[in-house]
Amino acid sequence: MKRLLFVGMVLLLVLSTSTVFGFELGRFDGTTIKACFIGGGDYEKIYEKFIPEFEELTGAKVEIVYKGNGFDIDKKMKIDFAAGTVDYDVCWDHTSFFSQYLDFLEPLEGYFTQEELSDFSQKVLQYCQKDGHLWQIPRHGDVSTLHYRTDLLNDPENKKAFQEKYGKELKVPETWDEFKEIALFLSKPPEIYGTQFAGKEEALSGRFWDILMSHGGKIIDENYKPTFNSPEGIKVATMLRDLYQAGAMPPGMVNFLWDDVAGTFANGNIAMYTEWYGWYSYFQNPEASKVAGKFDISRQPKGDAGIHGGWAGAHCFSVTKSSKNKEAAVAFIKFITSYEPQLFEAQIGYIPVRNSVFETLIQEAEKSTDPLIKKRFEIMQIQINEDFTPPPIVAEWIPISNVLYPKLQAIMLGDVEVEEGLNQAAKEVELIMEEAGYYD
Amino acid sequence: MNQEMNLRLKKDLKKSSKNDRYLSWFMIIPALAVVAVLIVVPMIYSFSLSLTNMNLLKPASTQFIGFRNYIRLFQDEIFWRAFWNTILFMTLAVNVEFILGLFIAQLMFKVTRGQGVIRTAIMAPMMFAPVLVGFQFKWFFNDQVGLVNNLLYSLTGDYQIIPWLIHYPMNLLAILIAEIWMSTPFMVIIFLAGLVSLPTEPFEAASVDGASGWQQFRYITLPLISPFIYIAMVIRSLDLGRAYDLVRIMTGGGPANRSEMIWTYTHRLAITNNRFGMGTAMSFITVAVSFAFVIYLFRQLSKSLQEVY
Repeated sequence: MKRLLFVGMVLLLVLSTSTVFGFELGRFDGTTIKACFIGGGDYEKIYEKFIPEFEELTGAKVEIVYKGNGFDIDKKMKIDFAAGTVDYDVCWDHTSFFSQYLDFLEPLEGYFTQEELSDFSQKVLQYCQKDGHLWQIPRHGDVSTLHYRTDLLNDPENKKAFQEKYGKELKVPETWDEFKEIALFLSKPPEIYGTQFAGKEEALSGRFWDILMSHGGKIIDENYKPTFNSPEGIKVATMLRDLYQAGAMPPGMVNFLWDDVAGTFANGNIAMYTEWYGWYSYFQNPEASKVAGKFDISRQPKGDAGIHGGWAGAHCFSVTKSSKNKEAAVAFIKFITSYEPQLFEAQIGYIPVRNSVFETLIQEAEKSTDPLIKKRFEIMQIQINEDFTPPPIVAEWIPISNVLYPKLQAIMLGDVEVEEGLNQAAKEVELIMEEAGYYD
Repeated sequence: MNQEMNLRLKKDLKKSSKNDRYLSWFMIIPALAVVAVLIVVPMIYSFSLSLTNMNLLKPASTQFIGFRNYIRLFQDEIFWRAFWNTILFMTLAVNVEFILGLFIAQLMFKVTRGQGVIRTAIMAPMMFAPVLVGFQFKWFFNDQVGLVNNLLYSLTGDYQIIPWLIHYPMNLLAILIAEIWMSTPFMVIIFLAGLVSLPTEPFEAASVDGASGWQQFRYITLPLISPFIYIAMVIRSLDLGRAYDLVRIMTGGGPANRSEMIWTYTHRLAITNNRFGMGTAMSFITVAVSFAFVIYLFRQLSKSLQEVY
């Protein structure tokens, strides 16, 4: 009996060293997997906790050869790919960036079974694919959601005044038209501005695209021709201009990036705006934020096409085409994107992309005294599964964005008329696409 | 006989000077090789890149396109805005830093006690990384919660939201203030070194002759320290020609390209837009502008050296 128990334990030990959460990882003794990862702050906690576990399970060694922020890695990888100096097997990737690297990445669909992928949000996985191949596996995601001040929207005086002015109830906007109306109504500058958006770089062009998409518009069509100067595009740019010119947005907004908009909202100057989930603990901290306990969240408003906006992105992992340890690299990705690491990251604030992790989080949130915690996870799960939409998956998205955002700024500042500005940008984007060989 | 000896001597001299010339060339070969490897070859290579359509994401499809990048840039309205903004920024920053630097150096020169402490304190802004200075001043000039608008409110009692970083030329002025704060100490230190090294006799003689303080400054101090002034201005011009960090952090060259500088635009073209060929062409134009500034300042320097010595 004792002998049987011993054999059973040994068998269990052997199995446990090669299998994790139902996935067969395999043994890779003596193999060193080199990695190029996003670094800084909480991003690294997952490496510290789970890389040693992976090494123990598989016998492989993981060596991080480069760590940097997303933009630095993007630059590094583009230069490494161009110069042929890639010395890593696994790399950080992102739904907004991966289409630039396709020539240098290993397609992953052959390495994963349907079962292994079934727990991931299928909407997120959809944006990890291009040209019929799966290029990256999501680690965690983010999606933009509407943050609004409950004290302002529920204020009886505001409600009464809104009813008198518009003949309808003041409530959380469900469409972008309502959003504009309420933003204009709630503005009392310089104390309160109706809304704001991060007003430069991809933050602005991405927001333009977010609203454009909900109206049924596109940045480029199937033939890679720019179409953002369509009636839908004109409507979005007009909304941005009208809100800015009417003083319903802070004057400095066209120089704001993510931390600036979060700071202005936390300072109590903004009635509502679309924001990422990651700032929640900052907004709810009464020592740092004047809006702690005074705000709520909801899905972003719908556009004319009945689509909820949901600008989103996901941090992912890819395997380089030049890797000599592809099997080991894939095993590492399977491990690091599995349930446990995703739950661990979700508990420190990141948004998971596995439905099983959401279920655990919602169950845990039921015990919380803050009712917004549970609501937050529920909306988050709906958005990750239904609204998640990254910007156009073309390698030229960032160059397109770099053409678009200065024109949007010029439109908002009144330097150029809406249609003329969008037409000028469309002309420049067409040139970029032509140079990139899309029309050959 | 003498004639024959003279001819031989001339021949020998010619031969030895020829040998010396060969030897001297031979001796500088290592230095030339280093310069060639580190400067000439990369310059030629990058110039050749500027004549191509190289895209960072598609290096294999690079084609020679002649001067098309340069022609496009010269037709590009944003390029010209960035170009003139850079020239204006360089000119204003160098001159204001020069005036302020000279003024502060003069004051410090007169200080008899605690000069070491003051010198260290004056140097403090130089110790910050430009990126940090950029964040600091971006915050100062934030229209909503920034120090400047709040200070104006405290002084006037009128709460005005002045969007410093949005409207031109206020945004350029804000960047200029940050740059001047950060870099004037460099000028102060150089000028102070110049002032300390001046002989005392001309000043004593001028005092005996009844020259006023201003006259002594104008006709003795200024000409004598002019070599220091031009050296400092050359170094600062080259630094300012590369202005990137502060602009990138404070305005990103915007909004709507209003505060665009050559290097912010170059970075956008070459790295974020992947148009390496175009970006390299723009870098060459920048180098040409910097060369022009340096040549002008070096000419002034040699003129002043001739006058002084």
